[in-house]
Amino acid sequence: MPNHWLTGLFPIRVSTSLAALLLIMSVGVPASPRTPTNDAQVLETLPTRAGDTAARELARLRAAVAQTPNDPQRVEELAQRYLDLAMARGDPRYVGYAEAVLNGFTTALPAPLLTLRGVLRQYRHDFSGALQDFAAALALAPDHAIAHAWRGAVFLVQADYAAASIECEALRRMNREALAGGCLGLTQAYGGQLEAGYQTLQHTLERVSNADNRLWLLTRLGEVAAWRGQPAQAKAHYLEALKLGRDDVYLLAAWSDFLLDNGQPAEVARLLATWESADSLLLRLTEAQSALQLPDAPRHRQMLADRFAAARARGDTTHRAEEARFELRLRHDPRTALRLAQENYALQREPRDARILLEAAIAAKDSAGAQSVRDWLSRSGFEDARTRQWAQTSTQVGLTGEKR
Amino acid sequence: MRWIRIFVSGLLLLALPVLAHKASDSYLTLQVQGDRVLGQWDIALRDIDFALGLDPDGNGDINWGELRARHADIAAWALSALTLERGGTCPLQVTQHQIDDHTDGTYAVLQLAGQCPTPEGALGVHYRLLFDQDALHRGLLRLELDGLTRSAVFAPDTTRQSFAAGEVSHLTQFGQFFIQGIWHIWIGFDHILFLLSLLLPVVLIRQAGHWHAVGRFRDALHEVLWVVTSFTAAHSITLSLAALGYVSLPSRLVESAIAVSVVLAALNNLTPLISQRRWMVAFGFGLIHGFGFASVLAELGLPQQTLVLSLVGFNLGVETGQLAVVAAFLPLIYGLRHTQFYRQVIFKGGSLLTMAIALVWLTERVFDLKLISS
Repeated sequence: MPNHWLTGLFPIRVSTSLAALLLIMSVGVPASPRTPTNDAQVLETLPTRAGDTAARELARLRAAVAQTPNDPQRVEELAQRYLDLAMARGDPRYVGYAEAVLNGFTTALPAPLLTLRGVLRQYRHDFSGALQDFAAALALAPDHAIAHAWRGAVFLVQADYAAASIECEALRRMNREALAGGCLGLTQAYGGQLEAGYQTLQHTLERVSNADNRLWLLTRLGEVAAWRGQPAQAKAHYLEALKLGRDDVYLLAAWSDFLLDNGQPAEVARLLATWESADSLLLRLTEAQSALQLPDAPRHRQMLADRFAAARARGDTTHRAEEARFELRLRHDPRTALRLAQENYALQREPRDARILLEAAIAAKDSAGAQSVRDWLSRSGFEDARTRQWAQTSTQVGLTGEKR
Repeated sequence: MRWIRIFVSGLLLLALPVLAHKASDSYLTLQVQGDRVLGQWDIALRDIDFALGLDPDGNGDINWGELRARHADIAAWALSALTLERGGTCPLQVTQHQIDDHTDGTYAVLQLAGQCPTPEGALGVHYRLLFDQDALHRGLLRLELDGLTRSAVFAPDTTRQSFAAGEVSHLTQFGQFFIQGIWHIWIGFDHILFLLSLLLPVVLIRQAGHWHAVGRFRDALHEVLWVVTSFTAAHSITLSLAALGYVSLPSRLVESAIAVSVVLAALNNLTPLISQRRWMVAFGFGLIHGFGFASVLAELGLPQQTLVLSLVGFNLGVETGQLAVVAAFLPLIYGLRHTQFYRQVIFKGGSLLTMAIALVWLTERVFDLKLISS
């Protein structure tokens, strides 16, 4: 083909160049790989140093399991260790490691391993698979209290309070007071008996001395007190929990929600300033910053959008509730928020999930969209006045295209 | 384990929003064009350390020196977990090791290259990195296969995926070649100059040895339509014959003949050899120009599955590009046709300049030189 004068100025294969550019841009990988020049340049800091005792212990367990992948005791120990690390560090890679270890177990799983597998499945929101595993574990070992406790937790998420109370009763019969108290207290609170639930949790708190357990109980007491319309009491519980001095993402999230509901975004912005790395806390921090119109808000909104997009890219659908809240409160897109909240509510039906669905339905003026929550409210009798008010409002929107 | 935590609701204990980090992903981009494979694979250093161990001095940091020392092992490990097939296994190599920063840490970047046994057919990808050690690991693939981009996720239960080459939207394929057709007539200066040389005299009439302005636009338009249509018809015919492989002419001959056609067309304006039936000239030389386009199309590569569609698209693109030029050109020269400026400068001077350029092209092409072309 002859070369024309100006050919050099134009790319002949415009479409190919464009495609290459789009490819690079769309991957989400910054198109800037580089070759370092200095051997001493540190590239990455590992979560555990090879020398410290925890890492050595882990390495020993790993080697043991690698040798005998079907040894139930070794597998259980290693998988449990990984799960503990996942919770302590907030790092999902460890959950993946635990699951891989269980996958390497090729003979029939004994009860403790079945329970562990159930825990991993519920992590992925495979609740039916989890319930199957817990049932299988209990069939092999009916006194396996942990399986009862986890099953109760899944039933609570699914809003099946009758089934949950059976598990609570089983735990009580096994004299597992703390577990039984937590189970029962929540079942009562969700199931239309806020007062009774509060008392149950309070009694359990008095019998529990372990700091982590107290922290959890105090957090739930704060939530229940807020539902009962007793903000001063709620605040007292939260502050006592914070005084225990442990970093706990769940506590911070609940406390932030309380503060935001009570019109104190500045406090939230201050509290969560260093918690960008935890998605749920970044969400609340960004809500507070947006309310105060602080300069970091746009950047944080973009960070959240990127994180949700990355999760979608890898096929992870486990945080639709948070994404719904993001779409509603930060992106002001009620239709998308409603869709996500509905998808979430199909699997998870706790009061928090109900709330975001109601808020999204009201904002989207879609009364029918919130029917599932209204059904739950009438069945359960959940007593939080604010939730009931929203449910009432949701019946009035969208009929004439505007709120009456 | 703090058992009470079991009853954490919603953010049920281990649900992702509670956790600060992200699970393991690797990012694999592949460009497969025919039988050639190019790619880039980003794998987190943390994941490589978990699988292979990267910190011999145990100080908790990985530096470039420690990473470099394991490059061969990393390449072997990664390539053993990735298999590409197109008519058979496509052997891959790591051509370069680099690093890059992602939101959750530093990644090793492996530049890949490879060759497949056949340039056509479905591409099979078998991905199994890290799955036996991290069941939450995901391989995120961005694949550009024969010009089309698509993405996929590899998980422990989807380690093999196949991508069909021909699953291209026909409309997209047509559109792509249509654009290419327009583009190539606009950068095809020899074709444009030929056409313009034929069109310059349409607003004039040769009478008694002199050029006079044509009376009505309709007459000019009539002439234009005949000329452009015959040119179009002719080059469509030979383009199709050549692109489909029925006729083949040596490209140097074709290019030289095209240059000759431009010379003659320009010359014809200066000393009218053929003033009637210019459309026959357009047709005759159009046949040759068609072969010129065919060589462009051969370089672009007609996709087997949509051969005719792409050819038609390209042809229509050429026609559309041509029409755009004519539509811009014609009113201009019609407006100027009475002026001396037009007759002397544009008509005569333009034709002379065109002839000169075409003569240089002719010399370049016949003798395989580069005088004014880049």
